[in-house]
Amino acid sequence: MNDATRAETLLKVEDVTLVLGDRVILREVNAEIRNVIRPGLSQGQVVSLLGPSGIGKTQLFRIMAGLQKPSRGKVLVTEKALPVEAGMVGVVDQHYTLFAHRTVGDNLLIAGRQGGLPRARAEARARELLGRLKLAERWDEWPANLSGGQRQRVAIAQQLLCSEHYLLMDEPFSGLDPNMKDEVCELIAEVAALHELTTILVITHDIASAITISDTLWLLGRDPAGEDGKVHAGARVQGVYDLVERGLAWRPEVQTLPAFRDLSLELRARFRTL
Amino acid sequence: MTRGLFSPFARVTPAQRVVAVGVFWTLVLAGWTLFHHHTAIIPTPVEVARSWVELLGQGLLVRLLESYALNLQAMALAAILSSVFAYASVVGAFRPAAKLVSQLRFLGMTGITFVFGMYFSGRGLQVAMLVFGVAVFYVTSLLSVVQGVPSGQLDHARTLRMGPWRTLWEVVVRGTFDQALDVLRQNAAMGWMMLTMVEGLVRSQGGVGVMLIDQNRRLNLAGVFALQASILAVGIGQDYFLGQLRLLLCPYSKLRER
Ligand SMILES: Nc1ncnc2c1ncn2[C@@H]1O[C@H](COP(=O)(O)OP(=O)(O)OP(=O)(O)O)[C@@H](O)[C@H]1O
Ligand SMILES: [Mg+2]
Repeated sequence: MNDATRAETLLKVEDVTLVLGDRVILREVNAEIRNVIRPGLSQGQVVSLLGPSGIGKTQLFRIMAGLQKPSRGKVLVTEKALPVEAGMVGVVDQHYTLFAHRTVGDNLLIAGRQGGLPRARAEARARELLGRLKLAERWDEWPANLSGGQRQRVAIAQQLLCSEHYLLMDEPFSGLDPNMKDEVCELIAEVAALHELTTILVITHDIASAITISDTLWLLGRDPAGEDGKVHAGARVQGVYDLVERGLAWRPEVQTLPAFRDLSLELRARFRTL
Repeated sequence: MTRGLFSPFARVTPAQRVVAVGVFWTLVLAGWTLFHHHTAIIPTPVEVARSWVELLGQGLLVRLLESYALNLQAMALAAILSSVFAYASVVGAFRPAAKLVSQLRFLGMTGITFVFGMYFSGRGLQVAMLVFGVAVFYVTSLLSVVQGVPSGQLDHARTLRMGPWRTLWEVVVRGTFDQALDVLRQNAAMGWMMLTMVEGLVRSQGGVGVMLIDQNRRLNLAGVFALQASILAVGIGQDYFLGQLRLLLCPYSKLRER
C-alpha cells in the first residue's frame, strides 16, 4: 500500500502575499503539489486546503486559478513550471457556473474547442466524459433544468475539457446532505483516476470529507500570538499532512480506521488555534 | 371561494381567476357607464364601437399600417444604436458616451424637436425623434442589464481561456440576449406611446396619429376612444409577438425565472 512515491512538482505556490486595501490577507504562502506515483496504477493527486472561515482560502484559490494577481510571489503550474494564467487550470466555483444560454452539450463543446480540440474530437471527448459522469442522456438539457449535483458534474466536465489535468474546487461539499457528500467524494476520486497527471485541489472546511478524498492536506491559518501577544496579520500554510504516509489515502473505508479518528481530532485541535 | 384571493403570494385556483377577471371587468364597465351618466361627454362603449366602424371606412387600417411601419423602422434603428452604446460601455473609453446617452432621458422633447428639424424633415424627422426618444431609455435599461452580469460569470469565461472580447460576446451579448429582447419589448411599447405625438408634429406622413388629432380637434371623443383602443390592440399584439419570439429564440429564459 505504501510503496507510493512523490515525483516531479505539478503546482507550486511561491511566497504568495496578498494585500487587499490595507489588510494583509495572505503572507508568504508556500506550498507545492507533487506527482504521486503508485506502481501499476494511474492515479492523480488530490490535495485539500483546510482552514477556518474568512482566513483567505477563496482568495488563494483565485490566485492559483490565475484569476487574481497576488501582491507578491507567484504560482507555477505544469511540469514546465509556467506562471499560471486564467484558463490553465480548471475552476469549479461554489455556484457551478455554466453558460445558461447553452445546452449541456454546447457548454462542453465550447470548452473543448477553447481547450484547442478540433470539433469532432471535442464532441467525442465531451460525450465520453459526460457518460463517465453518468449524465450521457442530458446532452441536450438546459443547465437550469439540472439539479445542483448534476450541475456540479457538468461544471467539472466543462473545466476538464478545457484545461485537462488541473481542477480547483471551492467548497464542493457545502450545503450537501451526508449521502451527497459521499457521492461527491466518490466523484472526486473517479475524476482523480482519469489520468496520472490529474491534479485536484479542493477547498473546504469539512475535515472528514477532506481526509476521505485527499492524499495531502494543507492547513491554512494565522500564526499563533507571539510572547508579546502580538498577532501577525495574514494567513500562511501552517501544516502539510501526508495522508499517504499515514496510510489514509485511497481507502474508501477510511472513516472506520483509528488513524482517521486521530487525525480528525488532531486537526480539530489545530483549528482552534488558528 | 375567496380564500387566499386577498392574501399576498397565495396560490389562486383557475376558478378564482375567472371570478377575479369577471368582477374586475364588470366593475370597469359599470364605472364607465356611471361616468357616462355623470358627464355626458364620455361616450358609451356602443358609441365607441360605432365610431370605430366609421373610422374603418375612412382607412383606419391603412393608417395603422403606416404607423406600424414607422414604429418598426424607428425601433430597429433604436435597438441597433442602443445596443452598440450599451455593450460598448464595458470598454472604459466608451463608457462616458453610454452614460451621457442614458442621462439625456431627462431632456424634454420640446427643444430637441427644433434641433432635429434643422437636419431632418418629413419621415426622417419622425424617425429621428422616435429613435432619440426611445434610445435614451433603451440604453438605460440595457446598461443595467450589462452591469447586472455577475463577475463570477466573467471569471468563468476567463477560466475557459476566453479573451476579453470573446467574453463580451459570450457572456454579455449572448448571455443576456433574452433580457435584451425584453428590453426591446418594453421600449417598443414606449415607441407606440410617442408615435402619435411624433406623427402629430409632422402631419405630412399620415399615420394613426394624424387621425387622432383630427378626431380630437372635432371633439369627437368616441372617435378618440376608438383610435386609442385600436392602438392598444396593436400594441398588445406586438407585445405578445415579442414575448413569443423571446421564448422561441431563448427557450432557457423561461426556466431561469423559476
Ligand atoms: N475585496 C476585498 N477587499 C478587502 N478584503 C477582502 C476582499 N475580499 C475578501 N476580503 C477579506 O479576505 C479575507 C479572506 O476571504 P476569503 O473569501 O478568502 O475567506 P475564506 O477562507 O474563503 O472563507 P470561507 O470559508 O468563509 O469561504 C476575509 O477576511 C475577507 O473579509
Ligand atoms: Mg471561501
